[in-house]
Parts: sequence; structure tokens; C-alpha cells
Amino acid sequence: MVEPSDEELCRRIAERDADAFELMVDRHQGRAYRLASSILGNEADARDVSQDAFIRLYESAGRFDGRSRFSTWFYRILVNLCIDHHRRNRWWRRLAPLASPGGGDDPDERAFDPPSGEAGPEGEAMLKQSVSRLRPALEKLSPQQRAAVLLQTQEGFTSREIGEVLKCSEATARVHVHRGIAQLRKLMGND
Amino acid sequence: MAENHPDTELIPYLRGELSPDERARVRTHLEGCAQCRESAEESSAIVSNLARVVDDVREPDWADYQRELKRKLRAAQAGNAGVRGRWRWRRADVRLPVFGWPSMAMATAAVAVLAIAIVMHRGSGGSVQAPGVDQLELQQELSSADVGLLANYHVVEHLDLLENYDVIEHLDELEPGDRQNHETPS
Repeated sequence: MVEPSDEELCRRIAERDADAFELMVDRHQGRAYRLASSILGNEADARDVSQDAFIRLYESAGRFDGRSRFSTWFYRILVNLCIDHHRRNRWWRRLAPLASPGGGDDPDERAFDPPSGEAGPEGEAMLKQSVSRLRPALEKLSPQQRAAVLLQTQEGFTSREIGEVLKCSEATARVHVHRGIAQLRKLMGND
Repeated sequence: MAENHPDTELIPYLRGELSPDERARVRTHLEGCAQCRESAEESSAIVSNLARVVDDVREPDWADYQRELKRKLRAAQAGNAGVRGRWRWRRADVRLPVFGWPSMAMATAAVAVLAIAIVMHRGSGGSVQAPGVDQLELQQELSSADVGLLANYHVVEHLDLLENYDVIEHLDELEPGDRQNHETPS
């Protein structure tokens, strides 16, 4: 049986088809949650915001005009919610450092996680350390840069699609990605 | 010159996103620019590690996530329906404090000032004033027909108003102070 496309599901959701909505959530919940978690750096917030994005999807499915890919349209909703959430909570974030996903809150502590052994003990440990340093560095990017970088690395979006999500030109999206990566390189180099 | 470095095109180049012409131009530049080659290598490593960061995100219990989502969706739908109905009421309600309450407060203050002025005016007389025409008429009515009712108040206070309506209706026919006739009305 051929799986319905996202666009087809979206059309059915606009007609208040509960099964279509359930299938859509099943299909996108993991990616949406991971992206929100990476942008927000907080699992509880990622849960709330990604669920809000699905609720927005349900409410506004009728407005999807099919001119862009469904994923571009949906991730625009999600990323905007993440950026709004980040803005609303900016004052609080200054007081309470973001909890790191995937484990304890102390990056240094996670840097000494036992290696898995798949890439050799030393290589795996170095990789984990590098990843654990990258996570807090990611938090230092602007929400737009972070979203642009993550949409590219996680979702495989092109610069044009990132521009559609962030409502900017393709050239500006490239600048966001470039500056984000350059900032990460700088932060990793300074550590 | 810095402006000739294809900085913003390095990632798209690495991802194979560029057009053939752009790709050829960036490739040519990289062959002659050690700085950009180094930048491309470091960027590539960062992108690779970023994928690892994303992969490390701990996933929630999806069944629980979906239950919560359905609950939130129902609440949002109920909220939307409620908001549509409540919106006009809320607007009116919101306007009251803005436009209504000051007016009401001013009216209340005016009434209070008027009442105080009347009391002070009466009090400033110093002597008991003669009753007006209306007051005299009221006193006359009380002293004639209704005195009987007042005299038989002890009857009224023991009656059930609904069950003894007849008694109350003819109360003025009782003799003042007649206790015997009212105890068990039939």
C-alpha cells in the first residue's frame, strides 16, 4: 500500500481527518522534536513547542497552498515557534543555563562518558568530547543562525528552503549558515 | 582580498548545492587558497559533529507525547470555540474598566457628595422642622386603619404567610390583642 504524501495528509487534516493527523504526527514527531530540542537546548521546551507546532498544523492545514514542500511549510511554523519561545524566555535563560539534552547538565561531566567502543576508545572519547563542547557552543548562536545551521545539518534543507523557513532570501540564508558555522569554529577553537 | 573568498558558498559547495558554474568557480578558488581549504575542512567537521549533537537528543516516550498532544489539541479547540463566544463579552468587559468604571465612580462620588450635603443641610437647621404634607397624610393613615394591624403584630409573627393568607387578609378585623382567635385558624 502506497503511503500518502505529506501534502495529501495535510489536505485530509484540513478536512479534520483525525487518522491523517495521527499519521502526520507519527511521521514528523521525531524530527520536529529533535530540531526543537537542538534549537531550544531544552527537552521540556522542545516537547511543548513541537506539540504546539502540530496543533498549529492541525488548525491551519487549510492554509497550506502546496507552493512549497510540506516540510518547508511545517518547519517554518516550528522554527518560528522556537524563535518566539526563545525571545519570550530570553530573560530567564540569562539566569538559568540551558539544560543539555541527552543527559546531565554539565558538559564536562558528559565529556568523560564511557566510550561505546565502536570507533575505538580514544576516537570515541574525542568525538564525545567534541560533541559535548559543540552543544553549548550551539547555544551561543542567534536563534536564526542556529535554526539555519540545524535545518541544513539535520533536515538537509537547501539554502533556498532555509530562506523559505526563515522568510529571507537564499543569499541571506547562506550568510546565516556561514556565520553560524564560523562562530562555532571560533567558539570551539577558543575552548 | 577577503571579498573574493567564497565564504558563504563553502557549505553549499560541500553539500553539492551549487550550480555547475558556481561549483567550478569555488573549486578553482579552493585549489589556490589554503585559507579557504582549511575553512572548508573545519566547517565540514563541524557539520559532521552537529549531526551527532542532533542524534544525541534523548527522545521522549512517544505514546505519552501523543496522548499529551491530543489533550492539548482538544483544549485548544475548546479554547478557540470559547474564545469566539467570549470575545465580544470580553471586549465589553474590558471596556467597562476603561470607560465604565470611571463614569460609575464619578456618579457614586456625586451621589455621596449630594447625600452629605443634604444631611449637613438638615443638620444645620438646629431645630426639628415641621412635617410636610405627605408626611402628615402618611401619619394619618397609620393612625387610623393600620393601627389594628400593628396592634395584632403578635398574631402575624406566628403565622405561616402562605398557609394563613386569609387570616392575614382579615387581620384588621380582629380585636386588638385578641390572641384566642388566631391560634388555630381554619
